[in-house]
Amino acid sequence: MHRPKAGPRIVSVGTATPLRKYTQDEILDLFHETDPRIRRLFHSGHIKARYLYLPEPVNGVLPDETNQELLDRHLHGALEIGPQAIEQCLCPLGLAPCDVDFFCCLSATGFLCPGITAHLIKKMAFRENVQRIDVLGMGCNAAVNGLQAVTAFARANPGKLALMLCVEICSAAYVYNRKMSTAVVNSLFGDGAGAVVVRQHDADSWRQGPIVADFEPHIIPEALLAMRYDLEDSKLSFFLERDIPYDIGANVGKPVSRLLGRHGLKRKDIDHWIVHSGGKKVIDAIQYNIGLTDHDMRHTLSILKNYGNLSSGSILFSYKELGHEGVVRDGDLGVAIAMGPGTSIETALLVW
Amino acid sequence: MYDYETLKVTQEGNVVTACLHRPDSRNAINMRMLSELSDLIDTLEEAQDVAVLVLRGSPDVFSSGIDLRDFAARKRRDIYGLQKWERMCRDLEKLNKFTVAAVQGECTGGGFQLVLLCDARIAERQAVFCLNEVKLGFLPGMATFRLAKYVGLGRAKSLVLTGRPIRAKKAQQWGILDRVCDQTSFDETLAETVSNLLPFHLVPLEMARRLLDESYATSYEDFLGHFLAAQHRAINSEAFGRLVAKATSAEPRSNSP
Repeated sequence: MHRPKAGPRIVSVGTATPLRKYTQDEILDLFHETDPRIRRLFHSGHIKARYLYLPEPVNGVLPDETNQELLDRHLHGALEIGPQAIEQCLCPLGLAPCDVDFFCCLSATGFLCPGITAHLIKKMAFRENVQRIDVLGMGCNAAVNGLQAVTAFARANPGKLALMLCVEICSAAYVYNRKMSTAVVNSLFGDGAGAVVVRQHDADSWRQGPIVADFEPHIIPEALLAMRYDLEDSKLSFFLERDIPYDIGANVGKPVSRLLGRHGLKRKDIDHWIVHSGGKKVIDAIQYNIGLTDHDMRHTLSILKNYGNLSSGSILFSYKELGHEGVVRDGDLGVAIAMGPGTSIETALLVW
Repeated sequence: MYDYETLKVTQEGNVVTACLHRPDSRNAINMRMLSELSDLIDTLEEAQDVAVLVLRGSPDVFSSGIDLRDFAARKRRDIYGLQKWERMCRDLEKLNKFTVAAVQGECTGGGFQLVLLCDARIAERQAVFCLNEVKLGFLPGMATFRLAKYVGLGRAKSLVLTGRPIRAKKAQQWGILDRVCDQTSFDETLAETVSNLLPFHLVPLEMARRLLDESYATSYEDFLGHFLAAQHRAINSEAFGRLVAKATSAEPRSNSP
């Protein structure tokens, strides 16, 4: 492939989680869950622990929360870990929120108006003329969709700074009703925020981060409702269809082949795979459909194990782990894959 | 197509045969041969009209191992050539075709390593297998990873640490070879081996081979997830679809009018 030397680069990444970490057993005990099927489900997903904003138990029992309390928790959490991820992302570059020209916030775990960007602009002293966009409800694939927006901005405005924040308070979308369908969700998702800065700047090189070279989406309209919000007792309750991991597996080769094909690349040319930690089954399905190894998926698996499914923020956590490894070299190629409601598989090509 | 210096490659129908060909050095594997093997594998991966790759040597020698003349005698020797060898081995092991190793005569070191990568492995009675690397002062590559899965740890240690040669019959008893035959019936046995592998169904081949290759390295729970993902792919493949269509159309319909 022709390796671009200039283009919008991801020059920094930051992540944050709530302070409290819960093992799967601790969560089951908090809910006094005795159903052996649900207990087994919590232990079968290869998740060890997750960071969550759970309420304090009252007399040893978790209080039943109103919809308002859940929405409050989403906003409170977003305004706590969102700024932490942003600061971790901006500080190493010697930058502050007032330097940001374009601000994109993504969240699917609570609905609010005004949006999170407005709240964070007030809280963190962004400029009053920062361009902004709030993306609500796209789900686990959203980081790649958001990256499309910030990359487009950075490409059109060389030298200017684009900031993307994925903040998901999945514990604000918990419905606890002892059904298997809610248990599937409650055993899987965790809270976390991830932020990246994207800019096109002549002085940046592969050492700052990769050029976001291309995107290739794939949507499966027949599976429109396979991942969705339902209303349960007037609360938003996330639903995952049983077959969805395998449906994603069966389709993931399509966008990946198109993305690589038009750059004359093969799968074995790709040095780094940054894949959404959706759950063990979907990770298995992706591995066996496009021939990825446990080594290729090491960050995806370790994020799942230690954080659960962080929804849109997930691949930013994996991306950060890859950076910490220090194995990336000049000219390396990476593919990011995130899948979510739609049913949607979003891919991006990264060039260091 | 398939024009190489150290490999003689022919195609008959959907079977490609690659003969290691360095007559002056008993088919020793040098960097040139390594590059040409890599290139052949890349080419075959894209070849829609190929189902089987047969790897052969000459009538008296499969290969005498890595060509030591490729190593620098006086300066620090780096690992990258050998890393390239392992990458080629892995690509061959995962190639999207059936692979057959057909051995006559001496099969030493790197030659033996190649045999362990193939889906089917046959030899004529006079063939001799030997991993002599440790005896010479280096290591038999990732045969250190693969060999014990074929023969068990005890036999692997004996072969690797002593460098003792074994004859084809023993290699068959130990599970390295599927079939052993006389020199005179070698081509016939090879043809039979190839036809026993066919028909070629790519998805189940790749899935089954990967699961088997990983079967010693994973917990039951992890493996079950891998298996289910692989089986989902297999039962949604073209081959299985045809099979089910045939089965259901042959079945008399009790509820039809």
